[in-house]
Amino acid sequence: MDLDTNRSLIAGALARIPGGDRAALQTVYRLTSAKLFGVCLRILGERADAEDVLQEVFVTVWRKAADFDATRASPMTWLIAIARNRAIDRLRAARNSRRMEPLDAADAVADAAPIADSALENTQENARLHGCLGELAAHERAALRGAFFDGNTYEELAARMAVPLGTMKSWIRRAMIKLKACLER
Amino acid sequence: MSDTFDHSGMPEDERLAAEYALGVLDGAERAAAAQRMAREPVFAALVARWEAHFAPWADEIDEVRPPPHVWERIASAVPAPMPAPPRPNLWQSLTLWRGLTVATAALAAACIAALIYVGSAVRQQPLVASIDGGGHRHFVATVDPGRDRIAVAPAAFSADATRVPELWLIPPDGRPRPVGLLSADRTVTLTLPAPLAALAKDDAVLAVSLEPPGGSPTGAPTGPVIASGKLTNL
Repeated sequence: MDLDTNRSLIAGALARIPGGDRAALQTVYRLTSAKLFGVCLRILGERADAEDVLQEVFVTVWRKAADFDATRASPMTWLIAIARNRAIDRLRAARNSRRMEPLDAADAVADAAPIADSALENTQENARLHGCLGELAAHERAALRGAFFDGNTYEELAARMAVPLGTMKSWIRRAMIKLKACLER
Repeated sequence: MSDTFDHSGMPEDERLAAEYALGVLDGAERAAAAQRMAREPVFAALVARWEAHFAPWADEIDEVRPPPHVWERIASAVPAPMPAPPRPNLWQSLTLWRGLTVATAALAAACIAALIYVGSAVRQQPLVASIDGGGHRHFVATVDPGRDRIAVAPAAFSADATRVPELWLIPPDGRPRPVGLLSADRTVTLTLPAPLAALAKDDAVLAVSLEPPGGSPTGAPTGPVIASGKLTNL
């Protein structure tokens, strides 16, 4: 299925949910649950937790589908944000993240290359993000990765990279400024 | 470039939005940012823009098919398909009954009661609670008909310099569930996640305890419960 077809199927189904169409919710689930479960599992590490959060994600989608504006956002962007946010909320409630092994800046070098298999998102957006990540210093990229993929807080990232909290905040904030300048130019 | 980089390149709100979207905030900061998103559409739009910036990264995450029971749990958590809205028909029948003139005032009242009763099966009524303690009304809470938001207005609550008021929902099992932090000087609207929304019924009690800044660190009240009140149908 081509990307645009998939995107419009998801957006179309989301638009029917506020009317109480459960089949539409099931369509969204069929098209997106494997990706969203992967996101929850990556952040939470435990299948049982990821299953609970995936359930919360789709109950949230059922209740909040009217908030989704297809003219302003991609449906996958909206859904991935809900999944990441619910998974991170669950991590914070547990009061620590599962991934705490040391983060090595050298491991983040591979990020400079875009991912060839872009199943659901626009490959142009993917290439742009990776191009901009490639302009960051390796330690900045490693810190952003730990936050995005492992749901780490500033404090946890500082511990994983063995730097003071203030340094970690400075790295990430500087990286975000550079990323914004690059992505929005 | 040194670590004393000039951060003026990003306004405070946008920095917070990016931090929320990336996920680096700790529990209390994250909860505060989520509250702002619920109240401030401009801030919520900033967060959405940063979420869109980071979203392509998720392409790196492998798809994993969830087991079938997850969908079954979702299907049982969302309401069953509804018939066409009954309100217009009921209004018509009410008009008809009035037209027959045999209706006494008592009968009309019974019709209205029936209308509210039938209506509530489809769209629930708001729930309210007066959260009182020590002879004072401290807060007034309203749960919206969709059961997904609760608005809590301070009444005679006076702020404590070292502790913050935290709201708890206590269903019949007696175990307090944290809802969120309240404010002494303005109405706070909190989002009820699905598991809490399911418990927000007229058999539940709302309570307020005083907790360290950022809220109870344990998920259960650690400070004194200063006020409570039962949820009732409006």
